[in-house]
Amino acid sequence: MRSSLRRTRWATALAATTILALGACSDDGGDGGQASDDPIVVGISLPLTGDFSEPGKGVQEGYEAWAKITNDKGGLLGRQIELKILDDQSNADRVVADYEQLIGSDKVDLVVGPFSTRLVVPSARVAEEYGMLFVEPAGAAKEVFEQGFKNLFYAAPAVANDHYNHLAEYLIAMPPDKRPQTVAYAAMDDPFAQGTAYGLKAKLEAAGFKTVVDEVYPPNTTDFGSIAAKIAASKADMLVGGSQYQDGVNLIVALQQLAYQPKLAAFSGAPTNPEFAKAIGNKTEGVLSPTGYTPGAPYESNKEFVEKFKAQFGKEPEEDQANAYTTGQVVAAAVTAAGCAEQGDCQKKLVDWVHANKVETVVGPLSWDAAGKPQGAHMIQQWLGGSIKIVLPEPVKEADLLYPKPAW
Amino acid sequence: MPSGGLVFQSVILGLLLGGLYALLAAGLTLYFGIMRVVMIAHSAFLILAAYLAWWSHERLGTDPLLSMIVTVPLFFGAGVLFQRLLLSRLRPITLTMMSVLLTFAVALIIEGLLGYAFTGTQRRIQLSYGSASIGLFGARIAVVKLIAFGLAVVALGGLYLLMKRTTFGWALRATIQHGDAARLVGIDTDRVAGYGFGLGLATAAVGGTALSLDTTIYPSLHWHWIGPLMAIIVVGGLGSVPGAAAAAVLLGLMQSLLQIPMGTTWAQTIFYLALFATLAFRPQGFFGGRLAQRF
Repeated sequence: MRSSLRRTRWATALAATTILALGACSDDGGDGGQASDDPIVVGISLPLTGDFSEPGKGVQEGYEAWAKITNDKGGLLGRQIELKILDDQSNADRVVADYEQLIGSDKVDLVVGPFSTRLVVPSARVAEEYGMLFVEPAGAAKEVFEQGFKNLFYAAPAVANDHYNHLAEYLIAMPPDKRPQTVAYAAMDDPFAQGTAYGLKAKLEAAGFKTVVDEVYPPNTTDFGSIAAKIAASKADMLVGGSQYQDGVNLIVALQQLAYQPKLAAFSGAPTNPEFAKAIGNKTEGVLSPTGYTPGAPYESNKEFVEKFKAQFGKEPEEDQANAYTTGQVVAAAVTAAGCAEQGDCQKKLVDWVHANKVETVVGPLSWDAAGKPQGAHMIQQWLGGSIKIVLPEPVKEADLLYPKPAW
Repeated sequence: MPSGGLVFQSVILGLLLGGLYALLAAGLTLYFGIMRVVMIAHSAFLILAAYLAWWSHERLGTDPLLSMIVTVPLFFGAGVLFQRLLLSRLRPITLTMMSVLLTFAVALIIEGLLGYAFTGTQRRIQLSYGSASIGLFGARIAVVKLIAFGLAVVALGGLYLLMKRTTFGWALRATIQHGDAARLVGIDTDRVAGYGFGLGLATAAVGGTALSLDTTIYPSLHWHWIGPLMAIIVVGGLGSVPGAAAAAVLLGLMQSLLQIPMGTTWAQTIFYLALFATLAFRPQGFFGGRLAQRF
């Protein structure tokens, strides 16, 4: 007991000295001479326990992969990267305290974002207060970009409302007599899920597609029979689900029971889930879904990422891991261009650089508007022959889009 | 203006849904009728039965309906034990209030154990007839919904006959109507209450299996169900099985039809509107009251 106490005290003293030393170094180095060999410390708070622990751990792997791959190539500005990760227990109060600690008392050089809109918004406020660059991997709801943040950047191809953009372009470009005429929308009352469906709805309506059903259901809906009845009665050519997993599956089964056959069906959440095919009786052929990342994407840095990620974790990276890695790539590009990475004036240079430039990442080239909103769209994938293939946009597609889709 | 086909389809869906609601709510009304116990854990037992049906299908490949051979007697026994070992120890004067707390705890325990045993992943039974349906004058009737409705008819019909035609049923109804008088004529009301509770939980085994046929299940799903089910038994008149059945079918039908003009979010509020209206104007329930006394 006593020895462990003493050890703690020693550790605290050591940590305090290190922090003081680091602080002194960064003060010295602030004027431009980057001769320091100290590691660049990146502060992160993540939901490693609680509601978001599943995706939180995925994000952690992405950050770790980024640190390792960068360090193996000699680090940033010749310095090694060191991650300092705290657990916020998926709690918005804890995440604020964590970033206060990382920036204020631990004096980390850089910070990057946590997982989910609910944690990104409060933590971005702290970063803004300290004038820190804040690139984040998981704040896709449009609310994030309505807070007036000047230092925040979302490191993914698109916000929820733009997920279906490539599909919208594809449909609008079809000859008017061949394309679907009527569309049914069913979306969960949730900023992300509804955002995806309504982004597409706005574009298709503007192009003259007729909306015949527009249903919004609460997240706790258990019975989809009535919604399915409305959609089936409308005989819509095309069905768009702003869905997460469970509701997407329940809706599809309810529609199958009513013998409804759309020519095109797109769901935002469900089709990428490993259990999806089994849950709907393997009648997946032709179902579409937007995705922000695929391990098979042909971008230069992605090949390296997938290969080295597999070596490190023994599995393929998924979207959460890729978004965290992308965040790291954006920060690294800014640091390399600005030639500095510490608190103070340097952060302003980093922010200005990201605002003004395009960054090549594992999810493709990214650039942002003044609010930090990415200027891209998600890829569109489709179930073809029992597996998922990218069908849009043209440059990265693995197969042609199948239309009309076979019966389910 | 909705088409006739859509209205007809919605009526069918509403009746099927109402039948399922009736089955799921039957146990709740029994518990309250017999012993003034508010059983918050009823829907947790439904989900437990649904998980057992899923698990037996996943592991043994048997039809989920066969799981009832085990779960119905198991739940009956658990109900008897539950009443004898836990509820009978509560003081009669605070029984209703304390039973809320006790069964709330039981619901949390069941949810926790389900999460521990089967993880929080959402599960769905994959049946070869899961998306099959029968045509009826242009409308479609899903086979799984029809099976669930059939289970409800059989279970509620059996319960009704048991209550009306057997000595045990008479003893149970006597206990519901006037416990002291029942004791005076020689009914062992404690034992009858235990069996009554077991019977309620046995309906949960049937209901959970019916639910598992056409729903994605996960451990915390029971919280979505307990509210509407409580509303049904209050509207139906606490303690009245036919009242609960009538309220369930009516509310299911209204939910399904209101869905057409109002959408899902508002259609669901019909349960709470009906609950408020009942408590404000007819606290004994719209279909129960005197009926409940006579069963």
